[in-house]
Amino acid sequence: MDKSELPFLSASELSRRIASREVSPVEATEAYLNRIDSLDFKFNAYLTVTRDLAMQAAQEAEREISAGRHRGPMHGVPVAVKDQFNSAGVRSTGGSRILADNVPDEDAAVIANLKQAGAVLLGKTNLTEFAVTGFSHRYSTPRNPWDLNTYVGGSSSGSGAATAAYLCATSLGEDTGGSIRFPATWCGLVGLRPTWGLVSRYGVMRGVWSMDTVGPISRTVEDAAITIGAIAGHDPRDGHTRNAPVPDYQAALGKGIEGLRIGVVTEQMDSEVVDPDVRNVVQRAIAVLGELGANVGEVSLPLSTSAGPVSGALLAVEPANNHARWVRENLSDYGHDVRILLQTGSIMPANYYNKALKIRELIRRQVLEALDTYDALVFPTSGRGAQPVEDDPMVTSKETSSRLPFLLTRLFNLASCPAMSVLCGFDDRGMPVGLQIGGKPFSEETLFRIGYAYEQATEWHSRRPAGVA
Amino acid sequence: MADLSKEDIQALGRAVGLDIQEPELTEVMYSLNALLESLDAINPPGLDEVEPLPIILPPA
Repeated sequence: MDKSELPFLSASELSRRIASREVSPVEATEAYLNRIDSLDFKFNAYLTVTRDLAMQAAQEAEREISAGRHRGPMHGVPVAVKDQFNSAGVRSTGGSRILADNVPDEDAAVIANLKQAGAVLLGKTNLTEFAVTGFSHRYSTPRNPWDLNTYVGGSSSGSGAATAAYLCATSLGEDTGGSIRFPATWCGLVGLRPTWGLVSRYGVMRGVWSMDTVGPISRTVEDAAITIGAIAGHDPRDGHTRNAPVPDYQAALGKGIEGLRIGVVTEQMDSEVVDPDVRNVVQRAIAVLGELGANVGEVSLPLSTSAGPVSGALLAVEPANNHARWVRENLSDYGHDVRILLQTGSIMPANYYNKALKIRELIRRQVLEALDTYDALVFPTSGRGAQPVEDDPMVTSKETSSRLPFLLTRLFNLASCPAMSVLCGFDDRGMPVGLQIGGKPFSEETLFRIGYAYEQATEWHSRRPAGVA
Repeated sequence: MADLSKEDIQALGRAVGLDIQEPELTEVMYSLNALLESLDAINPPGLDEVEPLPIILPPA
């Protein structure tokens, strides 16, 4: 195989070839670094490329594997990580000018876990400023490999662009209100927001403490399974991580979905924010799940329509409080959208924040009640495909205050449930569409079964954006 | 609740040490009023009794 073709292997296939010593981690890493050098000017996926550290890690992986010490499926696999995670000795900006020169002395838990698994870190990926908006970047704006004139979707935009453009084998994002699944759906990828408490948040720049989760953005379901397997697990430095063995997600993939009960959430499927072509694509995908043996039914979750405003309140108030000193002293250092968000969150009356938390609990109960009947809930990840890149617009009315009315991810964030987005087709403009699959807390294995069964029954994941070859 | 005015927004800002000025004053006013209006409209049964628990605590 030509070395320049190595980046086009799935992470799991690359992993198998590394394990069998058919491919060297050094060759794979060089191939990715060469692609980053020659192509990332188009995508703006990376903020920092750690070439020397990556080559050192690849050489170490090669030595270990040659000596018969194979650590597992991520050993020697080149990975990109969102610059929201602290990395020892490597600048960690959070996508903000305020932290342009921030060099932590300790790795975030997820980065330490990747290193422990033997992964090769290629660099830190771009993101919206402090990961608190969907589009507003303070460095360059990442471009969608399926159409360079469109957004990737945030906040984990660089990880989405890097993965879709084959500038890494797999990547990590962070999802507070949908920031893993949003770039995943707009870039035709697999994104998994894990259950809150499955992955340590230690060393992750905070958004909303009770909704922040780290997870994979990958090209295939199996890639996502090996990536999450490397980062999940108890961490005493994050007191809310579950102290239980991490399941073998890769082993769950082939179990099929015969007899699984899948509920289509009618309020989300029929929402006016879902474009008809997107709805058609997702309906066809759900029909495939039925053909694969799942028992598909409809379920009504009336409070799901409240997920936007409730999460909107939390996503304004909590970042504003996390940033309180900088908001008072350095407001002009933030970009436009973030300045508006943080000022809005700073002055929201406490009774409204408390009301949002109470509605959240009712939403959570409604979701969990539905999941007593169904193994998973499905609907579109986004009601609309990738949108054109534009300058941050002014807020000129109440109606224009949200730039993300079509994003349908937040229900599962509020319920502390896991959710996956899987590519399930293309809209009328030829842009990717994602099927969202949510489940009970810590039911990631079920989501992997459904996602993998769908992926294996269709050919969408084998398509490649025209501009990345 | 009626929409907050620009003066209301500035007063709320002063309470937390922020001097919110145009042109962003208008944008913050619209953003906050949109959020408050949305939350005002959500009044499901059981709201008064429920506790504002933000998370599911993972089992020990």
